[in-house]
Amino acid sequence: MEKINRRKFLTLVGVGSGAVAGGAMLSGAGLGLLGGRGGDKPSGTFSFRAVSGLPGGALPSYASYVVQGNVDVAARSGVVARAVYAGYPGAMSTIALPGLSQVVRVTDVREAEGAVDITGVIDDRSQLRPGEDAVVQVRVDRSRGAAWTRFLGQPVELRLHT
Amino acid sequence: MADHLDEPGLMSPGGDPSIDITDIYAFKKAGVDKSILVMAVNPLTISAAFNHRALYQLAIDTNGDARADIAFNITFSRPHSEQRVVVRRATGDDARENEVEGRRIISGRTNTVVSRDGYKLFAGRRSDAFFFDLAWFLAGLPLPHTTIADFFAMANVDAIVLEVPNSALGESPNVGIWGRTLLPEDDDGDDGDDDDDDHDDDFAQIERMGRPAINTVFMAGARKRQFNRSKPQNDRAEFTGDVVGVLTTLGGALGGASYDAATAATIAGILLPDILTYNYTSPGGFLNGRRLDDDVIDIELGLVTNTARTTDGVGAHGDLLANFPFLGPPH
Repeated sequence: MEKINRRKFLTLVGVGSGAVAGGAMLSGAGLGLLGGRGGDKPSGTFSFRAVSGLPGGALPSYASYVVQGNVDVAARSGVVARAVYAGYPGAMSTIALPGLSQVVRVTDVREAEGAVDITGVIDDRSQLRPGEDAVVQVRVDRSRGAAWTRFLGQPVELRLHT
Repeated sequence: MADHLDEPGLMSPGGDPSIDITDIYAFKKAGVDKSILVMAVNPLTISAAFNHRALYQLAIDTNGDARADIAFNITFSRPHSEQRVVVRRATGDDARENEVEGRRIISGRTNTVVSRDGYKLFAGRRSDAFFFDLAWFLAGLPLPHTTIADFFAMANVDAIVLEVPNSALGESPNVGIWGRTLLPEDDDGDDGDDDDDDHDDDFAQIERMGRPAINTVFMAGARKRQFNRSKPQNDRAEFTGDVVGVLTTLGGALGGASYDAATAATIAGILLPDILTYNYTSPGGFLNGRRLDDDVIDIELGLVTNTARTTDGVGAHGDLLANFPFLGPPH
């Protein structure tokens, strides 16, 4: 059986070479799943903003956890910012609590189970708490209007706003 | 977050962190018949100065009815390089008014210690004495607690520190103390008129606090604002359900045992009204008053979670002073 390399396959199915790099075929499908919302851009990038109250569970929320990102699906790159603002969601202030803001450099983007999984790393280690992992995972699922990540190692479900 | 940033979104009519109370302290001064009262405001020193339109009040209940019988009313002039600060002492009905009542007992300038007739005053920027691993709380108090850090280690506040003769707190040594901040009822903003400094308006309460973290931990959503606007005398009637709701779920949610409803109601009756109880003859700390180095969070954690959590792992700051104004210099 003739082996076919990936570039040739993509050419055969009509995907231009400019979209080949970085596994754009798969990511393009992911972008389709993300499509139809204001945060998407035709260039193959998408943006999102998600918010959750902190703490959750039995304690009344005191602050808002905001995770927002701009991700280039084709290049599997981008930036995600995570910050905690005073005030619960719905009455959130513009006051970011110091020491709890992080900038995440995106290192990978994958489609999984109809959502998009974003992996990144916090390069500025001063933004990490003692014992906190520098590697960050964010899942964005527009069909469910939700995103998931961790805060201080604890899983947090956030509501997608864009 | 003893009470830092407890006004949702800081979008109150005040909209001003300079009237956001962070902590109230009350403790006996060693060796003399005096007490130290502290109201700290301006969490994370977001504002540049005390609000010259506001009334800052330390309220004293001398007979256990959760109503003020004595009030220390503190006002500030318009901020320039410094602010003039005036403290008045009101008693009886005047202490319960939302007005700048009372006899002037001491005055001075911000960031300067002044003394007069047995009183001593400091108002200005200081190191925040509160200590807590806020991020751990925001994460839901998870165990194991491996990310211990004091969120407030490098934080500052604006503090009003008042040394008073104990006789100024009433004849009975058992008093209740809470702080209030108020703004003019018809607050139409700062029009630049120097008459703003006259403080002759009727005021409306924006914020109040007695014990640490009562509003922060037990009030959800819009209830935080309602709590801030209400009076301690109504706490048990208005807010017992909020406290019981947390107490009957939190311990279980953290992997321990929650309180049953009856026990939760009993504890709610201790925590409310939100007044700092204080015997001014006793040097003991929290729950007798509150000293600057009292680990109020550890005490309250064990109580609120039914011992599912007993410590946040951080301790008092090392920059406290042995002498007035006791709070460390600002960072």
